[in-house]
Amino acid sequence: MRLSRRAMLKDGMLVVSAGMVMPAIFSRGVASAKALSIEGTRVPSDRTLIVVQLAGGNDGLNTVVPYTDSLYYKLRPTLAIPQTKALPLDNRLGLHPGLAALKQLWDAGHMAVVEGVGYPNQSLSHFQAMDIWQTLNLSGNGSEGWLGKLVSGWVDQDGHPFKTLNIGTQTALALSSIGAQVPTLSNTQSYRLAPDPLDSDGGSGRLQALMKLYNSYPKTSPYAALLDATALNAQEGERQLRQADAQYLSTVTYPAGPFGAGLKVLAEAIVEGLGLRIGYVTLGGFDTHANQQATHDTLMKNLADGLSAFYTDLVNHGKADNVVIMTWSEFGRRVQQNGSLGTDHGTAAPMFIVGKPVHKGIFGEPPSLSNLDQTGNLKYTIDFRSVYATILDRWMGASSKDVLGGVFGGQNFLAQG
Amino acid sequence: MTIHEEPTMPEHGKDSALGKGVASSQAQAPTPTSTVAQPHPRGMSRRKIFGIAAGVASAGAATVVGGLALEKSLPSFASHGATATTTQIGHLLRKAGFGARPDEITAYASLGFDGAVDRLLNYQQVSDSEMEHRLSALNLDLSKPQNQQRWWLLRMTWTQRPLLEKMTLFWHGLLTSSYRKVGGRKAYMRMMVQNQFLREHAFDTFDNILLGITADPAMLVYLDLTRSRKNAPNENYARELMELFTLGLGNYTQQDVYGAAAALTGWHVQGSSPTARFIEQDHSTLPKNYLGHTGNLGYKDVINILTNHAATSWFICRKLFSFFVYEKPSDDDLRPLVETYTKSNHNMAAVMRTLLLSPQFSSPKAYRSRIKSPTEFVVGTYRALNMPGDGSGLPAMTTVMGQELLNPPNVAGWPGDKVSALWLNSGTWMARLNYLDLVLAGSPNGPNKAYQPTDLQGMINANHLDTPERFVDYFVLYLFDGHLEQDRRTQFIDYFKGQENSKSATQITLTSGKSYPLSRVRGTLYLMMASPEYQLN
Repeated sequence: MRLSRRAMLKDGMLVVSAGMVMPAIFSRGVASAKALSIEGTRVPSDRTLIVVQLAGGNDGLNTVVPYTDSLYYKLRPTLAIPQTKALPLDNRLGLHPGLAALKQLWDAGHMAVVEGVGYPNQSLSHFQAMDIWQTLNLSGNGSEGWLGKLVSGWVDQDGHPFKTLNIGTQTALALSSIGAQVPTLSNTQSYRLAPDPLDSDGGSGRLQALMKLYNSYPKTSPYAALLDATALNAQEGERQLRQADAQYLSTVTYPAGPFGAGLKVLAEAIVEGLGLRIGYVTLGGFDTHANQQATHDTLMKNLADGLSAFYTDLVNHGKADNVVIMTWSEFGRRVQQNGSLGTDHGTAAPMFIVGKPVHKGIFGEPPSLSNLDQTGNLKYTIDFRSVYATILDRWMGASSKDVLGGVFGGQNFLAQG
Repeated sequence: MTIHEEPTMPEHGKDSALGKGVASSQAQAPTPTSTVAQPHPRGMSRRKIFGIAAGVASAGAATVVGGLALEKSLPSFASHGATATTTQIGHLLRKAGFGARPDEITAYASLGFDGAVDRLLNYQQVSDSEMEHRLSALNLDLSKPQNQQRWWLLRMTWTQRPLLEKMTLFWHGLLTSSYRKVGGRKAYMRMMVQNQFLREHAFDTFDNILLGITADPAMLVYLDLTRSRKNAPNENYARELMELFTLGLGNYTQQDVYGAAAALTGWHVQGSSPTARFIEQDHSTLPKNYLGHTGNLGYKDVINILTNHAATSWFICRKLFSFFVYEKPSDDDLRPLVETYTKSNHNMAAVMRTLLLSPQFSSPKAYRSRIKSPTEFVVGTYRALNMPGDGSGLPAMTTVMGQELLNPPNVAGWPGDKVSALWLNSGTWMARLNYLDLVLAGSPNGPNKAYQPTDLQGMINANHLDTPERFVDYFVLYLFDGHLEQDRRTQFIDYFKGQENSKSATQITLTSGKSYPLSRVRGTLYLMMASPEYQLN
């Protein structure tokens, strides 16, 4: 079965001839692949995108600080980052002091800031906003993620289950698609099936019987495609990860906690050549309605130290040239601080793009603090889809028009072509 | 005394009384089959259970089971005391509980479907003192989240009131809070206060539930209402109360968020105190505009306006239906629930009765319609196998499968509660299967109380399992509601009878006297619970 499956793939593309019989999961992949133009799915073979989701709504103004704007200090009398503590990027904007490790990457020329990112009629709902950022359906009712749409065109060529890797226990909506199953794990050690210690064959007989149960589960039964794809994906993936685990050695110290551990898994996948194209990891806890400062300080440091460790790990293994990191959050926070030493839901916010191939600079325009919308929130200046489009067109070798369903321009934090 | 502080009891209306009468008359039926031959007329006319017309059922007990492709494959059912409603009851107890052992299926089946629903809803009539005794014997320090999780998971495992615990789990996923934000380590007990509140009021009116959760100490911290001041209302709780607990997005404006935030001011919780106080002086008495109402509104007005809002009735019924029946219900599916919600003054027991007795609940579409949640998988397995362990390993198990109780990913609860497919991916699937190994073979590093090996020999002896076929059929009866394709059964039996593959000389002896390697026998049970069908609810 594996041979015939590979035979259908040529140059990373699914080649389908009429009447070809395929297992259900692959025919679903084909349906998605067909939806994309063939040119658009050509993936430069060794380029990787790491997406970092900052869940809960990161306070953009205290992340990239307008440290020379008196209005900022007026609207945030106790929460503002003091001018003397901001780490200057230019004469208007500076980084939160907890982002010192990222500032070093900036100084080395490996980081871009995209300012004022949002979309029309921004939602103040976490969940609608998250859905919009991930599915690009501005009504918030989308079900297929923008990255999922991309990866479903890459179904299992070369038998690489780790083209996409999601850290955590739940696959991000951005990665969800009808055609591809995304390996989802928190650490590499538990990503394996334990055998019964009494089985003299190391568990292979039982595993075989198990896979037969999944293969023969009637395709019309509930969740047939999901169950089938999950079992197959797990079985292929665990073997490769086990090998990688035995070889990967890192001398870098990642910050403690699931975010750092997750980045390390992604580094391992890249370093050990598992074919990773998209890695996804989430840092949560940004919904700072009250007593924001201590929480936000910790999160900023965790973010910067994690990304810096990841970057250094890649440099040490000679892999940094082919990796770009993008951060996003569902919204920024209200310009004026609230009565609980926190900030309520906001709108536009900056994004970070980090990596050796990145052009250093501030892209887009920081929204004005004197020209707010009727809820007291920032008016966005850059459409988030233009950031996605830039990455798709200039880094992933995909067609942003096909993936995003429209033309949204580009930003110059990556070189053309 | 505010409304939510008053003790309230679930509704015992005439519907309930009628159900009870039926239940007792059926309980007196001389044999299990007679409950099939003379089913309750209401139930008969209403339900076509899993595609089998009720009329067929009256032809005989085996026909209903047989209609599910089981008659030929599993003739031994009758000898296990199964009634015609094995599949229905198995389905009911999985959806409205955490699955059941054979004795439970028999007991509930003897009540008939409506009677079984009554027993689940009228839970006060069922004693749970044995469970309480077992739990208190563990002497758990319930100020620690891990012990709280363990306490609750064992509760679900040992309870005789499965729907009460399932309903509490539903509310925990909806009106949710996390121990990670309840005021620090010293305030962890607030999660227990909330959990007990949701249990005590699980079938109360939605009004009382919302009044209670608004003033709940954990919630006051989790969504920052305790930080709200009359001169600077905090929006967090006000927004999520409307977006996630009642109306849903699109039914309110940012102005309504401001209005509700001001009206909700006054509730506070101090230090690590497990009780909240309403401080009149910190309540904003300014006039508010809120969802078309104006005036000096307070938190009771907000809840009253919300529970009487049309959007809320559809919202909460949709949540219940998606959780207990199947996802993406139609308006027609929901209408009877919405009508009950309105007629019963928002009584959740009444709505749940309508839901469980609906034709949709017993329809083929509802059967195995959701991926089991980690809690359902972990508890269901532990419960089904009647595990003797102390449950200390259980919290870690649901966590690696994607559901750490009392610590939802965010204020929207677990996405899998809404779209159950989200529970399943390669990582969580492996975590499920590895849990089965722990349960069946015990902890790899010698015996400890967390996981003792399943006593397969004891089960075989107690149930007189004399052949591989009977072994498989016994578990099919209650792990699969007696509802499994012939081909699947064959695969399990084939594995059981497969070649010697064990390192150990340990054998399991069937009551016929024939012995099989332990790893073959428990491997068969592993495969059953690792199978696609067992992942479904």
